[in-house]
Amino acid sequence: MATRPADVLFGRLARRSASVSPAAAGKGGAAAMLKAWLPAIVILVLMLLLPTFVPSYIQSLVTKMMIFALFGVSMNILWGFEGIPTFGHAAYFGFGGYACGILIVHGGISNFWLNLLLVIVFTALLGAGLGIPAFRVYGVGASDNPIYFLLVTLAFGELLVRVAIAARSLTGGSTGLAGIPYPDLGLPITINSFSFYFLVLLIVVVCLFLVYRLVNSHYGYALRGIHDNERRMQALGYNTWLYKYTSYIIAGAFGGIAGALFAYFGGVMVPGNMGMAMTDIVFLIVIMGSAAWYFGPVIGAVVVVGVEYLSSVYVPDRWPLIMGTIIVVVIMVIPQGIGVMLLGLWRRLVRGRSA
Amino acid sequence: MAALLEVQNLSVHFGGLAAVDDVSFAVEEGERLVLIGPNGAGKTTLFNLLTGQLKPSGGKVLFKGRDITHKPVYARTQLGMARSFQITSLFPNESVLTNALIGLQGVRAGRYRVWGAFTGDKALRQEAQKLLETIDLWDKRDETVASLAYGEQRKIEMGLSLASGPDLLMLDEPSCGLTPTESADITERIRALGRKITVLMIAHDMDLVFGVAERIILLHFGAVSAEGTPDEIRANQTVKDIYMGSHKASTAGQ
Repeated sequence: MATRPADVLFGRLARRSASVSPAAAGKGGAAAMLKAWLPAIVILVLMLLLPTFVPSYIQSLVTKMMIFALFGVSMNILWGFEGIPTFGHAAYFGFGGYACGILIVHGGISNFWLNLLLVIVFTALLGAGLGIPAFRVYGVGASDNPIYFLLVTLAFGELLVRVAIAARSLTGGSTGLAGIPYPDLGLPITINSFSFYFLVLLIVVVCLFLVYRLVNSHYGYALRGIHDNERRMQALGYNTWLYKYTSYIIAGAFGGIAGALFAYFGGVMVPGNMGMAMTDIVFLIVIMGSAAWYFGPVIGAVVVVGVEYLSSVYVPDRWPLIMGTIIVVVIMVIPQGIGVMLLGLWRRLVRGRSA
Repeated sequence: MAALLEVQNLSVHFGGLAAVDDVSFAVEEGERLVLIGPNGAGKTTLFNLLTGQLKPSGGKVLFKGRDITHKPVYARTQLGMARSFQITSLFPNESVLTNALIGLQGVRAGRYRVWGAFTGDKALRQEAQKLLETIDLWDKRDETVASLAYGEQRKIEMGLSLASGPDLLMLDEPSCGLTPTESADITERIRALGRKITVLMIAHDMDLVFGVAERIILLHFGAVSAEGTPDEIRANQTVKDIYMGSHKASTAGQ
């Protein structure tokens, strides 16, 4: 069946499994597990060694890629796995970043771990609050017509942007909240731009692992079931509202973690980080990388952040034009996303060698 | 025998149209009751009222003696009700095995577990094997459902409706769109269900109707227009009129 752009937008794609042969998974034991996870392990080792080989601006670029990879993966819980597209995911990213910055600058809480915990609590509370009205307009099996949900989530983001601009004493208004220092771990390690890379790597890898376990758990398969057929899920006894609501909160909390890392990374949060401009970027990341594969948004983040950097160096001010062009080209030419394309190439490579 | 499902004066109106109009009947435990009626008679609408997908305008639904009129769909399934859909309603992107696993998980305690691999759940897998073996699809467990033939998808449709281990199984045209051979196979499977499962079925296919039914209710213009044993229904004049399409029948309910 041909993939249509609407299928891409509404996440109606057949999901791909990360292991080379899904049928064989679980049979082969440790060896097969190792083989399936080998690429991830190799990439992790390379990531650990990377700072010794590349100049600091590349290292900082990769840090940004990792943050956006987590952002994209958090959105994909809703979009790729559950089939719920949202235009408001940046609200959680920006809110997490602002919460982190305000806690440090105005709250005087400098400890990173405490800060992270509070960010998770606050973004989860925001999700719990906004999720109730949002899913009232979503209805059952609305992946065919999620337009009201999209509008409501879009409104949430823009609302938060307005609040951030208005609450100047707290947020710094439209110029943004500046002066967010590098995190204080409460350990005898000082975090600078070099070691911040490893902190981000640690947090992102842990979060990606947690989300991976989540989407492959009993709960995660219920989300996949809702993606395919929410009415049937209800008829099978699943309280689908509760799944949608809780997954919205969970996705928001992981988005908030990415936002907090972003606040530390740039040292500044601006209102636009909560609005449509940032949602565009995460949409692009998921579409580029593929919503149909768990690691798709990771690939998408590498490509989008990389291209954004290149365009800022060579053709400054043309980034929106380039982004728009890429989004159209990807949807028309490789609607399944670059991630799935690469996965297909990788499988052919592995099969070709072993066969 | 006690009534498992009791429908009292159930109605639903869409604007001025009474799609289901003051319907009352009861399904006894272990019974096989079949709903028949021409297109648009309100059979599927009635099913949607019984399973909670639609809210009734009036009347009551009692299941196992409890008033479930305002309970949501999933809560009714938890109580022991299950349905199949006239339009095949599966998880097309997932494998046959995953369909069975998701189907079985719905009424089990672990359905909110966020830790541990779902497809590696051994106890659930064994149940899924049992379920898929009863519908002869265990050999195709790794195939994506969307790639299966229609007849096989209809079998999964029935398999999923049995997955929650229901006391009341509600089948909405289980043989819809099947060949006569496949239809006969489905009839055989429904007949083979144990007496612990009560069956309420909508059907058009007369071989299926008379192959399964112990009692038949004829719905016409949203109301019960005849009720009786298969032999009584066969002899009933209204039924004959409706199915022969006489002029009298088309004005009878107005």
